[in-house]
Amino acid sequence: TNLFWLLYADLAFSFETKMPEVCHTVTSPVVCCAFNSDKSQLALCPNNEEVHIYGKKGMAWNLLEVLKEHTEIVNGIDWAAKSDQIVTCSADRNAYVWKRDGKKWKPTLVLLRMNRAATCVKWSPNENKFAVGCGAKLVSICYFEKENDWWVSKHIKKQINSTVLAIDWHPNNILIATGSCDFRCRIFSAYIKEIEAKPAPTTWGSKMNFGACMHEFSNSGGGWVHSVSFSFDGNKVAWVGHDSSISVVDSESNCKMLTIKSRYLPFASCSWISPSSIVTVGHDCIPYLFKIDASGNLVFQEVLDKKEKKEAGNAFRGVSIHRGSKQDCGSFCTFGMDGKIINWDIKTLEQSISGLKIA
Amino acid sequence: AATLKPYLNAVRSSLTAAMCLQNFSSQVIERHNKPEIEVRSSKELLLTPIIISRNEKEKVLIESSVNSIRVSIAVKQADEIEKILCHKFMRFMMLRAENFIILRRTPIQDYDISFLITNFHTEMMLKHKLVDFVIHLLEDTHIDANHFSEINEQFMEDIDKEISEMKLAVNARARICAEEFLKTVN
Repeated sequence: TNLFWLLYADLAFSFETKMPEVCHTVTSPVVCCAFNSDKSQLALCPNNEEVHIYGKKGMAWNLLEVLKEHTEIVNGIDWAAKSDQIVTCSADRNAYVWKRDGKKWKPTLVLLRMNRAATCVKWSPNENKFAVGCGAKLVSICYFEKENDWWVSKHIKKQINSTVLAIDWHPNNILIATGSCDFRCRIFSAYIKEIEAKPAPTTWGSKMNFGACMHEFSNSGGGWVHSVSFSFDGNKVAWVGHDSSISVVDSESNCKMLTIKSRYLPFASCSWISPSSIVTVGHDCIPYLFKIDASGNLVFQEVLDKKEKKEAGNAFRGVSIHRGSKQDCGSFCTFGMDGKIINWDIKTLEQSISGLKIA
Repeated sequence: AATLKPYLNAVRSSLTAAMCLQNFSSQVIERHNKPEIEVRSSKELLLTPIIISRNEKEKVLIESSVNSIRVSIAVKQADEIEKILCHKFMRFMMLRAENFIILRRTPIQDYDISFLITNFHTEMMLKHKLVDFVIHLLEDTHIDANHFSEINEQFMEDIDKEISEMKLAVNARARICAEEFLKTVN
């Protein structure tokens, strides 16, 4: 009988860890967060001007270091998987690139040349550039200049009429999609001739001079665009707006726009988790799943938290791929105003919700 | 009355939708972070205001923006007494606006009381509790004829009770004083 209970206890423990696993809880809203490549470390901003680095030890997350360089709230953090560098940007108009120096992290100033708050930051797929969105109605593309050993920037300003809220990179390392408060999603070229070869034509166009606006999309009326996401192959772009809508444009179908104006509270963030599925999170404390069905229509697929007591206690701020990729997601991670960072396992979701298949 | 429940439900769902706020730094002045609904510097950051009316006199105005929301309430004041009571009650609260945190010191034109709720409030307090607070205030300030006479009776009762207690207290003190005085004299 002793052996039986031991076995049972072991099974119970392993089952528990597969449920939407609450990775970590902090006592304040999590504004932004990023994991390193093997998901053993996490950088987050607890709603102030600090960046907290946590390390996983067994099942617990321990605070390893507090990075105190910014003087106002840190709006964006991104962790480059391959080069292991962290970039942070803040309302203090600055961005820093952090490199490991033994056990500590050392910052390098970036010359953003912005005179308003930085709102979001993303490393490019090859990690030789990063893009920073700004309240000055522009995007700053930063790259490393070896001669002077600093990060310099070029500005993309064309057609942007309000604060840039979100950025996502195309897998070709050249194009970016932006979402801003002027209700539009735009695709720009961030081609830096100093550090890379001329890009091959894509489904979004072939002439990619730096700063050229390849496309501008609006779902007629719309709301502030809170988040944008390129599909894994870069051929589709999805965005969510404050009018509780989700929109998708497919460059291979002549840029046809598919939109759903949902009856939920506005979405704050979205991400593709498969070639045809998008997960969105927002002011309702539940993740939603949308998909492009076989006939090419954008449809609402499923509510991903049907429990009495929801996992999240307050609005979500962001969602990102945790295990896997946008092509084949193993789990995705959400963070929000309740201070929780939750890891949602795809297989577990499919098992717990009858009829759900994420393809 | 029959129209109260639907009125409160409409206000509740409108508030829940309008209160989806986020931190937003000013795009006109560097290093500033102000409630956009008050500053009104950029038109694209303001949402269309909505008014939910129970009737001509009782209504709620909800003005929202990217990082802040203003909720203004117009309370029914059918006669002079109700006008005075309402004015006194609102003034009492607005003078102590700091303690209420989300109260605006002065109401918007044509309204009796206004709240200013920012993303900082929704970060430190639960959103549905904030909505509950506003709804409860609507319920409490909803003075109709029946309710008013109840309040009036209760008020008169309380006043009478206080006056009686004061009389008793004065008599008791007088008796104690007299006793003490007589002790010294005796």
